[in-house]
Amino acid sequence: MDLSIVNNDYYLSGMAALIGDVDKQLMVMLRDGRTLIAYLRSLDQFGNLVLHQAFERICIGRQYADIPRGLFVIRGENVLFIGELDFHQPLRVPLIEVTIEEILKLQKEDIEKKEHIEKLRQKAMIEHGLIDEGNPIEEHY
Amino acid sequence: MLPLTLLRTAVYHPMLVELKNGETYNGHLISCDNFMNIHLRDVICTSRDGDRFWKIPECYIRGNTIKYLRLPEDVLGLVKEDTNEKPTRSGPPTRRPFRGRGDGGRGGHGGRSAGSGGDHRKGGGGGGRGGHQGSRGGGRGGQQGGQLRQGR
Repeated sequence: MDLSIVNNDYYLSGMAALIGDVDKQLMVMLRDGRTLIAYLRSLDQFGNLVLHQAFERICIGRQYADIPRGLFVIRGENVLFIGELDFHQPLRVPLIEVTIEEILKLQKEDIEKKEHIEKLRQKAMIEHGLIDEGNPIEEHY
Repeated sequence: MLPLTLLRTAVYHPMLVELKNGETYNGHLISCDNFMNIHLRDVICTSRDGDRFWKIPECYIRGNTIKYLRLPEDVLGLVKEDTNEKPTRSGPPTRRPFRGRGDGGRGGHGGRSAGSGGDHRKGGGGGGRGGHQGSRGGGRGGQQGGQLRQGR
């Protein structure tokens, strides 16, 4: 069923549920791990989105930075989730804003750390004679 | 306007296309279709790590390999101009599906009050209270009709 009525509220199924969120500021997480915050301008039945005044928020630990990205057309299948943001509410987890250069440096260090841990893990698996299936969460195209 | 409509208006504009494998293609859009297949010209392709570059005069990208497209902001303004030229027609959001039901409800409740005539107001009001918003209006109308009849 495409439309369900619960307590006099109307709920649409699938991507149609986002029609009420047009022109709202939303947080969109992509499957490659990127987080975008933007105004949703339009969408279609495949979930393709038009995001306006988008910025990419990179969070490493408690530190974050916003990189302005402008106008986006995102193919629907690459979206992980979409959430509504309320900028008037204070952040429950206090985040510290840093400069873009700083966060990119932190991100690089973070990736190197993770790769190092992954290498050690793989080595340990082989030494113990176990089959390594890799990290199932990461997307490989 | 739909995402694909925005893409169609962005023809001849420069854009950045990131594919699912992380490669980025910077070029001018020549054409696109409903599957999001795109034809670009004067393209600069950057590898996923950002360390290798290729210059490609023309390329065709299959829609299902695209992750996202980044367009210049002025394209949004262009689309608004295009939609103003088209004749305005009320879309699905303005259509109220329960207006018809409300009218039917009003007529139905009016009929009930006429039948009861000198009967209490409560009967018509009770019938109107139950149901959707449209019928609520109809019930109110029925109530008023009952009052008028009693006055006479």
